[in-house]
Amino acid sequence: MTAVGDPPRPAPDTRPAPGTRPTLGQLVRARTTPAKLRLLLAGLVVLCLVWGGLAAWVVSQRASGASDVVGTSEPLSLDGQQIYRALSDADATAASAFLSGGLEPIAARHRYQADIAQAARHLESATAAAGHSPAARDLAVLSAGLPIYTGEVETARANNRLGLPLGAAYLREASALMRGTLLPAARDVSAQADAQLTAASGRATGLPLALILLVAAGLLGYALYRAQRWLFQRTHRRLNPGLVVASVAAVVSLLWLAVAFFVARADLLEARDHGSAPVAALARADIAALRARADESLTLIDAGGDDNFETDFKAVEHRLGPGPGTLLTDAVTAAHGSPGAGPASAAATTATAWYAAHRLVRSLDNNGKHTDAVRLVTTSGPDHSGTLFTRLDGSLTAAIAADQVVFRSHALAGRDVFTGLEVGVIVLALIMAAGCFRGLSTRLAEYR
Amino acid sequence: MKPPAWLRLPTLLVVTGALAAWAVPGSAAVTARPAQHPAMPAAAAAGSTSCDPTASLRPAGPPRVTPGSFMAKIRARGYLIAGVDQNTYHFGYLNPLDGKIEGFDIDMVRAVAKAIFGNPGKVRFKAISDDQRIPAVRSGAVDIVAHTMTINCERLQLVDFSSVYFDAGQRVLVPSNSRATSLADLGGKRVCATTGSTSIANIKAAASHPIPVAVPFWTDCLVLLQQGDVAAVSTDDSILDGLAAQDPWTKIVGPRFTSEPYGLAISQQHPDFVRFVNAALQQLRTDGQWAASYAHWVGTPVPAPPPAHYKA
Repeated sequence: MTAVGDPPRPAPDTRPAPGTRPTLGQLVRARTTPAKLRLLLAGLVVLCLVWGGLAAWVVSQRASGASDVVGTSEPLSLDGQQIYRALSDADATAASAFLSGGLEPIAARHRYQADIAQAARHLESATAAAGHSPAARDLAVLSAGLPIYTGEVETARANNRLGLPLGAAYLREASALMRGTLLPAARDVSAQADAQLTAASGRATGLPLALILLVAAGLLGYALYRAQRWLFQRTHRRLNPGLVVASVAAVVSLLWLAVAFFVARADLLEARDHGSAPVAALARADIAALRARADESLTLIDAGGDDNFETDFKAVEHRLGPGPGTLLTDAVTAAHGSPGAGPASAAATTATAWYAAHRLVRSLDNNGKHTDAVRLVTTSGPDHSGTLFTRLDGSLTAAIAADQVVFRSHALAGRDVFTGLEVGVIVLALIMAAGCFRGLSTRLAEYR
Repeated sequence: MKPPAWLRLPTLLVVTGALAAWAVPGSAAVTARPAQHPAMPAAAAAGSTSCDPTASLRPAGPPRVTPGSFMAKIRARGYLIAGVDQNTYHFGYLNPLDGKIEGFDIDMVRAVAKAIFGNPGKVRFKAISDDQRIPAVRSGAVDIVAHTMTINCERLQLVDFSSVYFDAGQRVLVPSNSRATSLADLGGKRVCATTGSTSIANIKAAASHPIPVAVPFWTDCLVLLQQGDVAAVSTDDSILDGLAAQDPWTKIVGPRFTSEPYGLAISQQHPDFVRFVNAALQQLRTDGQWAASYAHWVGTPVPAPPPAHYKA
């Protein structure tokens, strides 16, 4: 920040008559020309320095907003999403692998392990980034719960491998921990990180500060213009070099600010509209799809009784869509015009096919053909529920990755626009102040 | 509206945990109550004076599917619908090795299917939890329930039972390093059984006042025992055998302190089907199949099958 030094105070030459306090206007009008010049000099220098300070402050706000977006909020938001997604995927994968029996498919095992590793990695970086934010408590819940969850899944596997029904009980317990405690905490972390990203993006693109700066620039420009006109009338010299330099510096700084704000705002809005907003909508859809997938497997594992998991599947299906107001349709709308648009639409189509395949699974299971139902869920044949879900999840993941790239590149570009701007406006303000000082003190010298 | 099963277990743990934390230090609160308790079994007994629970309907000769009977309807449908357990090792459980539901209860159901269709495979199993057994029979969602189900007078008000096909009795399962030998040693301790079972009622009524912990399935009790959340599981020895078989670090202690005769539950709408099932069970008792199932699922030595007992 600039330290605005004590401006030279205009020392009054004459005292006002006792009892009457003259107005500033009267003072100025009463002055001799040198006194007026001194007053003008001080006023202009102060104005230039105030302008420099204000502009630098506004720039620093925007630059820190933009750099928060890129450096802090976006990674945290990504961590939140990845934790939530990886844990949802682990829940779905552990259930479907369990369903395959003691000899679970090696690919499912690897996928589960990758999910846990990814969740742990993002948990670590989110914990480092979160500091004492409200997300820290949820992150602590996740850090404490994840080892318990994996322990229960491994106990379930060991018992399943021995052919003991106890394995299913451990898997139910693990899934209850995941759904009752871990996933809600991950959802909170993700929501808090997204709110932080929105706030940072707002600081980097908000209009009010820019408008204040524009008004200040108008005042400064008017003051410089009036000063030069007055000098011209008084001295009949067409140009005052000092004031000309100050005016040019003012125009340069104003242009630089305008271009930087305009370009950065366009970049950051693009990053939001075709990047983080569709990524968030797509991630919400993907997480809901993973939950429904876990429901599908858990219904087959826990055929014991209530249709809780199937009821939950139907509720999630209703939320996921496609259809007006559903997660998938929202995601397709949000992704419109972004590289994720193609895969997002494909996901919406696949979802409908998957629901049909799921209904076939349910009808087989309800009609005593448990083994056939399990086969449709765990093996990859054409139109199998398992295949269609993998395609749905794959489309959503691809759309997320594509829009994440858009976000990253535009947000980086938006941040880089501010490089050097803060220092630049300060230097230009100093040049302006120096110009005014020099221009007017030369005139003033002529009166000595 | 019931909470979903995956919520019920943790919720229950939290609730009972809090209760235990509150109750255990204040053992005075536990000992202050015994005056009320003897009244409970007395009231139950009072209702059962006129009831002979194990007396079922007498079959008319060997099993025969008569036209217009409920069996004829089942035959026309093409399969028997049976409500079974899929979490009780050796009685009704989903075998992870072949994905099939198997066990002693399941053998009983297959014998009934064989009597109707000549083919023991014509069954559709519906896995249900303990507290769904009576509603499933009464609503007609299943034709028959084979689910380690104790015949008693209270349940006879709601459903019919076949003749007794297995005699069990409640005992106690504890970790192998436990010193407890009966419910008397478990006062103030947490003891697990399933919701809707006779066992949970017996734990509640025990004079030593253990803290009953109710879960959906018997395997959930073993999970809690392994995790140290409960001190014991108490239910029929037939079920405890299946739990002990899954964890060598447990032992079954103390004598039987209840008698739990198992019957197949059938709707009161279908007395013809009760007679038919009793005829099928009678064949099973006499042709050696009962003994074979017992040897396979429960072990040797094989006792004599429980004799059929019919209403006068």
